[in-house]
Amino acid sequence: MSTLDTIIIDGLAFALPMFIMAIGGIFSEKSGITNLALEGLQGFGAFCGGLTAVLMLRSFEGSSQIPYYVSFIAAIAGGMIYSLIHVALCIKFRANQVISGVVVNILAVALTVFLAKRINDGVFGQPSNKFVLETSVRFSVPGLSRIPVIGAIFKNVYPFEVMIIVIAALMWFVMYRTPFGMHLRACGDNPHAADAAGINVNRVRTIAVMISGGLSAIAGMSYAYSITSNFSPDIFLGYGYLSIAALIFGNWSVLPTLGACLIFGFARSSGQALITQLGMPSSYNDLVRILPYLLTLLLLIFFSKHNNSPRALGEIYDKGKR
Amino acid sequence: MSDSGYIIEMKHITKRFPGLIANDDVSLGIRKGEIFALLGENGAGKSTLMSVLFGMYEPDEGEIFLRGEKVRIASPRKATEMGIGMVHQHFRLVSNYTITENIILGSEPLKRVLGFIPCVNMKKAEADIAALSEKYGLKVDPKAVISDLNVSTQQRVEILKMLYRDAEILIFDEPTAVLTPQEIEFLLDIIRGLRDSGKTVIIITHKLEEIKSVADRCAVLNRGKLIDVLDVATTSTAEMARLMVGREVSFTSDKTEAQPKETVLKVEGLTVEGEAGNEAVKDVSFEIHAGEIFALAGVSGNGQNELADAIAGLKTAVRGRIYLNGTDITDLSIRKRTEAGVAYIPEDRHNVGLVLPFTLSENLALKRYYKDGFSKKTIIDRKAFEENGTRMIEEFDIRSSRGNKTVTAAMSGGNQQKAIIAREIALKTPLIIFMQPTRGLDIGAISNIHKQMIAERDRGAAVLLISLELDEIMDCADTIGVIFDGRINRIAKASELSVNEVGRFMMGVEDKQGGGTNKVRTGGTAS
Repeated sequence: MSTLDTIIIDGLAFALPMFIMAIGGIFSEKSGITNLALEGLQGFGAFCGGLTAVLMLRSFEGSSQIPYYVSFIAAIAGGMIYSLIHVALCIKFRANQVISGVVVNILAVALTVFLAKRINDGVFGQPSNKFVLETSVRFSVPGLSRIPVIGAIFKNVYPFEVMIIVIAALMWFVMYRTPFGMHLRACGDNPHAADAAGINVNRVRTIAVMISGGLSAIAGMSYAYSITSNFSPDIFLGYGYLSIAALIFGNWSVLPTLGACLIFGFARSSGQALITQLGMPSSYNDLVRILPYLLTLLLLIFFSKHNNSPRALGEIYDKGKR
Repeated sequence: MSDSGYIIEMKHITKRFPGLIANDDVSLGIRKGEIFALLGENGAGKSTLMSVLFGMYEPDEGEIFLRGEKVRIASPRKATEMGIGMVHQHFRLVSNYTITENIILGSEPLKRVLGFIPCVNMKKAEADIAALSEKYGLKVDPKAVISDLNVSTQQRVEILKMLYRDAEILIFDEPTAVLTPQEIEFLLDIIRGLRDSGKTVIIITHKLEEIKSVADRCAVLNRGKLIDVLDVATTSTAEMARLMVGREVSFTSDKTEAQPKETVLKVEGLTVEGEAGNEAVKDVSFEIHAGEIFALAGVSGNGQNELADAIAGLKTAVRGRIYLNGTDITDLSIRKRTEAGVAYIPEDRHNVGLVLPFTLSENLALKRYYKDGFSKKTIIDRKAFEENGTRMIEEFDIRSSRGNKTVTAAMSGGNQQKAIIAREIALKTPLIIFMQPTRGLDIGAISNIHKQMIAERDRGAAVLLISLELDEIMDCADTIGVIFDGRINRIAKASELSVNEVGRFMMGVEDKQGGGTNKVRTGGTAS
């Protein structure tokens, strides 16, 4: 496999989960709720999915793919339920949304590590804070994957990448073509207008935040099956924050956000390829990990002026206020 | 009672807010197909009464009958279902949506993709909106985005929103407050058209001429109580005004001849950039003398805002100089200008005039808080704030629920303006700029402000009055300047200009074409 192939394959595997997480962020923010909680949501989702997977693997054959898909469903459910903390703080108790997001993130790290230890101790009898998963199987599309260069897109694909693309397309449709999507975007621009049109602003926002919980969990679970190949505190590496950066560069629109995610993904994978090519010691891998963040800093300088955030973003909605 | 032809009857409505009875046992009936006006000063309870009808508030006491049946209107959504629509004073529009998207929001026409996936049928919606706007003569482009539209068009969208939902009873809350005279005429025509097509229209307003011009009947409210329901055709505006204010109101300000003295403000060749980077004010020169009211007339958006902001220091001049009592203040900061003697009553009360979340006493000290007497060695002296506040509240009759401690956001528009004027007048500066000082206020408040303005002139201040209301200009001015497209194309003594002439210059008629009027060019003309 050529280096270029590796860059494309690894880049996509990193970028697509980030993309689905960013779409979750877009849903939440377009409805008017600032969501810094993506990091915590993806981690908690991965925890729920990881736990489900290890529990199921005990009773299924090694080659069965059922635990794989069930674990994603469990992750989505876990992410959505965990996002209710953000819902409660922001909507019910009208807390500051930035602080709420940070709280949700910190709590997720502490809670999942604690629970993972207790469960490993109690159920599996081994002191560890990890749920060890196998790296997901991959597949190549016959024919298409043989095309030079772009064939790499169809080579060694994780099943979750396909799942993400299908869900992303569906979410785009929901956002821009359905009444619900119209209501959601209206809530983020002028909740008073939405309210006057008979839309229940708080309900729409609750659903939007829960969607962000579910989609982030897909991302977390994807990382658990690829980059980290387990659930462990390693899942909290800041990819959630990176996806927030991506959606800001993408101006809260789905397609430009995909572009931003791909830039991050390819920056990371080409950095890694470079290290391998130059035969540098593996400790330099950590240096490569900062590439996407470095890129974020640079992009921030150029793009922060042009951004066009939802008008009512972060504002606590108060019916009485005009 | 239902056979009396009333489509709505409100019986013994009482609505209380903490420390205030907004509606006190109000009973009235509105006939199908009439234009019914609600007249009253700011804070008289008009908006509250209509908010009750629109389901935004539930009355503490009283009943509402709709088409003869007793109803409970628990929410705006219920009101909409019952065929009641309302255009609020602050529009409820989604700024990045198209007109169509705004109108259909909440009741979208659907189509099925692949036979089962529900999705918004934007094509049908656009066609519907085009047809609807055609039917009622409300011309709009269904695909235009709200943030690109002017206020008047946005208002049309609000009206279409009601019509799209088949509203039969249309409530307008102060619909003309934000419009220019031409737009007002147009709106009143639309309202007449709506009545003629069988709708019932309720207008909340405090502008008597509008009532006289469109309304069939008119209810007068004062301090929450219903004073009377009048037949508009047989009642004079003077009578309406008396009932509304509760006392006689003089329409003409009794002011003495101006005694202009030395030049206070001298503007020379001033050019100011507008928001779009264009030259909003172009090479403007004029002078204002002590003891003179210089009124700048003009249609909205001809550079008035930029000119006032440049003199007050909110905007920097591209070219030209500004002199105050002979000193060049062009490059001074806002605070330095205030100290040099510029007081400014801005048009935008909420964003420029007041810090809304602050209390009244804090707002009243806003321009002097750092000075001795308001703070001791950089630490704020709360007591001095309150003493100052109490004195001003007393002197300027600023009404609020909690006096000094009232958060200004909770005050009525008229009292917010009183607070700003009190603060600025108290500075006793040689120059006071009044920018649209009476916008959105009722006649009682307007006549008070005009009196204060004249009193300031008589004290010896130079007053710059910028207004879109021609009547106000004609009533108060000693000297009139007319601004058009960023240039002052006429300056003359008020006594030498007729309303029609000023109106013509406002539309950009050149001085030379004025039909011999250029020979009266005297007075305040820059020399």
